[in-house]
Order: sequence, then C-alpha cells, then structure tokens
Amino acid sequence: MHPALLESALAFYGLGTLLTLPSILRRRPAVGAGSLAALSIGLFLNGAALVFAAVHLHRLPVVDIRSALSFFAFNVTLAFFLVYRRYQITWLGVLIFPFVFLLTLAAVLNSSRPFASSAMRGGWLLVHSSAMILGYTGLFLTFVAAILYLMQEGVLKSKQPKAFYERLPSLEVCNRLYDRSLVFGLVCLSIGIITGCLWASRAWSGDWELDPKILATLLTWFLYIVLFSTRFSGSWRGRRSAYAAIFGFAATMVTFLGVSFLSSQHGYFPIISRVH
Amino acid sequence: MNFILAGINHRSAPVEVRERMNIDEARLAAALSQLISREGIAEALILSTCNRVEVVANADISGDPEPVIRSFLTDYHHCSLAPYDKHLYWRRQEGVIEHLFRVASSLDSMILGEPQILGQFKQAFAVAQQAGALKGELHEVANQALAVGRRVRRETALGSAAISVSYAAVELARKIFGGLEGKTIFILGAGKMSELAARHLASSGAKSIFVSNRTYERAVELAQAFQGEAIRFDSIFDHLHKADIVISSTGAPHFVIRREHAERMLAARRNRPIFFVDIAMPRDIDPAAGELDNVFLYNIDDLAQVVEVNKKLRQREAARAEEIVRQEIQKMMHRLASREMAPTIVAIERRLDGIREKELERFRGRLATLSPEQREAVDGLTRAIQNKILHGPITELKTAAGEPEDGTLAQMIRRIFGVTEE
Repeated sequence: MHPALLESALAFYGLGTLLTLPSILRRRPAVGAGSLAALSIGLFLNGAALVFAAVHLHRLPVVDIRSALSFFAFNVTLAFFLVYRRYQITWLGVLIFPFVFLLTLAAVLNSSRPFASSAMRGGWLLVHSSAMILGYTGLFLTFVAAILYLMQEGVLKSKQPKAFYERLPSLEVCNRLYDRSLVFGLVCLSIGIITGCLWASRAWSGDWELDPKILATLLTWFLYIVLFSTRFSGSWRGRRSAYAAIFGFAATMVTFLGVSFLSSQHGYFPIISRVH
Repeated sequence: MNFILAGINHRSAPVEVRERMNIDEARLAAALSQLISREGIAEALILSTCNRVEVVANADISGDPEPVIRSFLTDYHHCSLAPYDKHLYWRRQEGVIEHLFRVASSLDSMILGEPQILGQFKQAFAVAQQAGALKGELHEVANQALAVGRRVRRETALGSAAISVSYAAVELARKIFGGLEGKTIFILGAGKMSELAARHLASSGAKSIFVSNRTYERAVELAQAFQGEAIRFDSIFDHLHKADIVISSTGAPHFVIRREHAERMLAARRNRPIFFVDIAMPRDIDPAAGELDNVFLYNIDDLAQVVEVNKKLRQREAARAEEIVRQEIQKMMHRLASREMAPTIVAIERRLDGIREKELERFRGRLATLSPEQREAVDGLTRAIQNKILHGPITELKTAAGEPEDGTLAQMIRRIFGVTEE
C-alpha cells in the first residue's frame, strides 16, 4: 500500500472533518463546499491507494489489517456521499468523518504485513473479508442513523424550542436510513460469515468454530438478526431500536478490531498456527 | 440613474386602499407600457400583491420624476391621488435600491421571512421584461434584488421558522414525519382552532381527514369541508389509530385520550409515531401519554413557546439579513457609479489618443528615416507613455466611483484634460 497516497488521504479526511464543524455551529442547511471538496479528494486518494495495493498484491486489498482499514474507510466515505446526495443532512459529516479519519489513521500507523501462508490467499477469503467490511459499513450507517434519530427525538420530546433549529433530519428520514442500511449491512454480514465459514472449514483444522473472534462475530450477527426482526414487526421501533443499533455497532467494532488481538486463529496478525 | 419608487404596503395602508391601488396581473403589462410611454420614463417595474403595490421607475430626465409618476397613477386609477397621499411612501436613488432589496428578502413583509414574496417579485420582473420596460440600470437592480433575496434565504435561517401556532404544528409534524403527503389527520372536537390547524396541515399535503365531535352533525359539516370522514364520538377509539396526527380541542372537562388509549393506538400502528396536538382547555390528552416512546404530545403552551422562540430567531436572522442587504446595496451603488465614470474615462482616453496621433503625424517627416521596427518601437513608446499617464486618473475615478465626491472628481479630471462635458 502506497504510504504517501494513504497519508495524503488522511490529511484531506482530517481537513474535511474539521471543515464540517462550521456548518453545524452556524446551522447551515448543508455541509460546506470546502468540506465536501476535501472529502472528495480524500476519497480519491484513498481509492488510488487501494488500487495501488491491489496491483501490488495481485488481488483485492482486504486481507491485511492496513488494507482492510483503508478499504473500510473508503466504503464509509463512499456511503456518506451516496446518502448525502439523497438526504442533505448537515450532521452526517460530523458523525461520519471522525470515524473515517480514525480508520485511515489506524491504517497509516499499521504496516502492511501480508500473510505468509499460501492458505490465506484463497478466493473465498477475499469475498469473506470484503463482505464483512461492507457489512460493517452498512451497520455503521445504521449506528449513525440511530444517533440522528435519538438527537431529533430528544429535541422533539424536550419541547425546548431553541434546540429545534439544529439541522437534523426528520424522524422519518432517520428511520428510512436506519432500515435501509440495516438491511444492506446484515445481508453483507451474512454473506461474509457464510463465506468465512466455508473458507475456514477448508483452510483450518480443529475447532476453529470456537475461536473467540468467530464466536463474537456470530453473536453480533445474531443480535442484528434480532434487531431486524423486532424492527420489522414493529415491536421495537423508536428509542429502543436506536440504542440497540448503537450497542450492536460497538460490539461489531470490538469483534472486528479488538478480538483480533485475542484470537490465535483469526487475528489480522500472521499468527496462524493451525493451518493445513 | 434617476430612480424613483412610489408604494403602499400593509403598514402604510389598510386593505381597502390596497385593493383600490392594486394592479392585477392580467393588466400589469398594459400598465407598464403606459408608464414607460410617458415623457421622461426610461424603465419601469410594478410589483402588486395583496400586501403591497410598488411602482418603480428609472427616469432619463435630470429633475425629480415624481410628477410623472403621480400623473401616471392618477390617470391609471381614474382618480385623484389626494386621499391616498398619506398612504403613499416615496423612495429615491439609493433608497429605491435599498427598498427593493429589502422587499425581495422578505424584510418588509408582514411575516418576516415569508417565502411568497420572492416568487411574486420574480413574476413582476418577468412581466416587466417581456413588456420591454427593463433595459438598463433598473433591470440590473431588479435582477440583483432577486439574487439578494435568494442569498438571504440561503445564508440566513430567516425563512425557516414558524410564526403562528398552526404553522408551528405543521413544522413539528414535518420534523416527525418527513413530509405531510399521504398522512392522516384526526380532528377531535370540531372547533375554530382545530379547523385552522387542520386547514394548514391539509394544505401542506395531508391526505385523509377524520372528524369527530360530540354533536355528529357538526362533525359532518367540518368533514365535508375537507372531503373527509365524520366519525361518531363514541367510536373514536376504533379509528384513532389510523391517524398520524391528532388535533384535539373538545370541550371535555377531563382527559379524553389517556395513556392506555395511546398505548393501544401505538400497538395497532406497530409503533409508528403519533403526533398529538392538544389545543383544548382544559387539556384533552393525558400528559402521561406523551411520555411514551413514539408519541409526541404538544399542548397549547408548548406550541406558543415554539412560536415565541421562532419570533426571536426570526428577528435575529433578520438582523443578519439586513447586514447582507447593506453589503449588497454598497456593491450595487459602486457598480452603477462605475458605469457613470465610464464616459469620463472614455473621454480622456480619446483625448490623449488624439494628442498622440496628432503629434505622431507632425513628426512623420523626421521619423521617415527610421526602419519599420524602429517606427513600431516609437509607436509603442508613445502608447506606453499615454497609458502610464492615464493610469493614475483612471484608477482614481474607478476607486472614487460611488463616493460622494466622485462627481467633483470627474469634473476636475475633465477640466484638467480639457475634455468638454457631454
């Protein structure tokens, strides 16, 4: 992964993130043009870095932690632009970009260590990793939608008129964003888990099913299935499902990043002990 | 530039006078043609709405065009202006620019920040353009007024705050439901206030309307007005869950809708949100219902508070809008004044050019021995000297454009260069 490209992307993401603040403080109806420009450039550089990595590795760059983080950041930024195009929500930038910045920062700080073993090069692995990251992107948007919902709902419930002029989307828009990103995220996550299991059953011996990361991921997946069904049936709309989405995403991030450090089998570190 | 404006608005004149002075759209083009056909009027614009009539003109005579406007108004309305004089206000020169900019930005409107005026102004502008009544400075000013109006809408929150209880209710409904299209309203208690609120909601796109009242006949009456359905009061709980918005103003001395009712409504709606507007005195809806997740309950005090804060917000945003207008007026004055400097600039350029050519002609004999390149060089030299000399005065004229002393400066420069007044 070309270090300079990613670092420049980081710089532009950082700039763009800072520039989203004035629009909020001044209650503008849209994210500032300067911010959007900086973020677009960041997106482009991020994409370029990924392309370089792909060329270098001769495959989709998702397998090592650096590429995975950068790919995640890229997808989240892309998602921002897609959502922003549809719903001009000023708060979207402030909520999404710090996260993108952190992801890219983590990517820049981590050196690229592709796995040595040939087993980690399977096609299924690429599908698994990409699908998981796409899933996380969707679930991150659900998280953002939940936050927006809670903010707007809080304002409406408090009946404090001063707070009304924050440029927040209507509850309806929050719900729509929530539902759509949830479906997208859950579908991708499911594909990711299934392909992951397929790959693991071939590549790993022993009780890989009991690996902490995999267990945690399955639990998170299960939580989201529950969330989806309660949402769909209507029994959990509103504040409760918003809290659940926030909690769920936190759990997701723990499984994505945190458990990597604990998992002997699965981590994003080349500590593969039980490979065929 | 010799701008003049004669107008009446909702503050200066009662509705009867405004009605009398109104020029309806169908006859606007004819009125404009009449105005510009008058001696001394080069351009004209007429803005006539239910709250104001503004007659604007750019005269090409040097004196005060007020008499011309007066005679136009007298002739057009077939009456003497004497009884209306106390309602008319007059603006001149920069005052006209200021007034037009403020009107287009809704700063002169009955409700600050109202959105209709910009469209009305645009329409008036289009009609005047089509009638050939706008071709110079007034065209520029009117066009810029529209731009200023748009800038104020874009850069301030002036247009976005509700100023009456029913507007507040509509705005809150939007914050919950996104838009009002296709939403269902239930009017509980067919009184004047609930009718007004429902009217606003309906005009914003709400689809189905249910009305219920203790006396069924009154419910039927109101339902018909909205092409809705009347419901008997004792069966309201069979239908309430269909409503996204419930407007309640019965005369009941106790709560009509209690927490349990709201819970059941939510269950029947699969927890889709409900917006209760309780404008009854005493209240119809138990405040405990408002504590439920997905229920939003606003009583008359809450709505009034929203309106009150909105008023303050509008005023604050209005101050910012006035600042924007001030900036724009300055820019426009500068632009128009620079235009006026143009003839002086052209005149002195022409004068120096004339001198240059004459001297070159005089020295032609002595320059004949030069090669073509050298002759070109001499030509370039004279041109460069001329430009350098002119640079100072031209810059001064451009910078001074719009300042009070610009006329004197232009006069002096003309005298210095020996250029006669046109």
